[in-house]
Amino acid sequence: AQRHSQQESRMQYERIGSDITMKCGTLDWDAAVTWTANGTDIDKSHLNGSSLLIRAADLSHNGIYSCFDSSTWQLRYQVTLKMGYPPKEPVLMCRSNNYPKSFYCSWHMPYPTYIPNSFNISVSHGSKLLACERDTFPKNRCHIKYSHLFSTLKYRVTVVVTNALGRNSASISFEEFSIVKPDPPENVVAKPVINNPRRLEVTWQNPASWPDPDSFPLKFFLRYRPLILDQWQHVELSDGTSHTITDAYAGKEYIIQVAAKDSEIGTWSDWSVAAHATPWMEEPKHLTTEAQIAETSTTTTTTTTTITTVYLQPPTTKIS
Amino acid sequence: MASAPAGPSPTRRRELYQPAIQHARTMRAHLARLLDAYVESQGLNIELDLDFVDGIPSASTEQWGNLAEAERLELNVKAYRSFQDLLNEVLEDQKQHFTPASTDFHEDIRTAIIHVETFSNHLEELMVSLEHEVPEKEMGISGVETGTLFQKKLKGYKVLLELLQWARRSISDLNQLSKNGRYQAK
Repeated sequence: AQRHSQQESRMQYERIGSDITMKCGTLDWDAAVTWTANGTDIDKSHLNGSSLLIRAADLSHNGIYSCFDSSTWQLRYQVTLKMGYPPKEPVLMCRSNNYPKSFYCSWHMPYPTYIPNSFNISVSHGSKLLACERDTFPKNRCHIKYSHLFSTLKYRVTVVVTNALGRNSASISFEEFSIVKPDPPENVVAKPVINNPRRLEVTWQNPASWPDPDSFPLKFFLRYRPLILDQWQHVELSDGTSHTITDAYAGKEYIIQVAAKDSEIGTWSDWSVAAHATPWMEEPKHLTTEAQIAETSTTTTTTTTTITTVYLQPPTTKIS
Repeated sequence: MASAPAGPSPTRRRELYQPAIQHARTMRAHLARLLDAYVESQGLNIELDLDFVDGIPSASTEQWGNLAEAERLELNVKAYRSFQDLLNEVLEDQKQHFTPASTDFHEDIRTAIIHVETFSNHLEELMVSLEHEVPEKEMGISGVETGTLFQKKLKGYKVLLELLQWARRSISDLNQLSKNGRYQAK
């Protein structure tokens, strides 16, 4: 006989590792039934009377479970089973990369729950609640305008995560300044300096996201090293967006990066994209024409000319 | 029609403001250390509710982006004048009630008072140089000091907390003014 499978499927969320008992709707305990999982009959050994018993269920048990009355083949019960975990405490962080305009908070789950979670975030400044405009992408982020500047009141941000199996939350509080972290400097360019085999000229720009460098100037940290070495050299620059390296090894390719920080508050940005450059080198004198060869042999005793790169150790740097 | 006075050239503006910015930075560094020392010496937990403490100029502002030069400087001057009296109170409280033997700590507070006083004078001179009207000096705060000793301790903390915020604000104010006399919010 045809199985009638018309029934609105409900969702059932269960915790991974738990034992699950499903009753066949309102049928008696001893009614003759057939259970299927995703359309496949389930062995009678899993039944306890007309109820289905799943022991220590895990993700592999996810699916649609249906119970049919064996006498009429009528569908008496159907459910979609989803296994998962209650939420652990979410990880919450806030940062301002465009001070003093706004800051953003983002959150994530330290462990997957395998079932849908919903997040609710609340932001307060002192006793005042602030709006947190959610980003469409990424979804786990929202933006808050700095309504007041130079405030001694702390901000408090709380995110509550809820799913079918439980609820958890995380809170942080911070001062306006402590979360200020600019984006890295942009367009870092390094160039050799003609006739200067030990120099490299580095230029960069304020991150475009930093809205008001006039009122909130950035200072910079520059690090550089020849590719052949691991040890960085550092120099801090309180203003300006250029610097000339004067102690480069002649002829060696360099890698250069820059970081930024508000002159007064907050923390350093990440390092910028790396720039590469090799200091200027004198053109090697190639003996190309007969005349030049002849000229060299009459005036000097002919020896094989080997072009060697003199490996000069910069006075300022101790190479261990 | 006579156009508005052009005000100092960008170079002149920077020359006028750079010393004040440096002064504010030095003051801020000292105040940050003093605040830490205060919290430690008074055994305070910095998650305190200080709402009950009033009469202290708050650096917090909603309108920071739109203030014109004269207004910005005036607000600074008035604030630092108040802080001179407030810091003297803090010093007296420490000498009489909380840390009578900590002469080094008292010296640090005295240094802060000097910083605030000289910075306030510096701003006033700046206002004169820029042909702005220097605000009248108001009577210093006086009167019978009320509240428990613990409330006095908290007030001292809030004075230093707000003063540090003012120092930060002043640096941003002066940075902004050194580039552009009339700030246009971006």
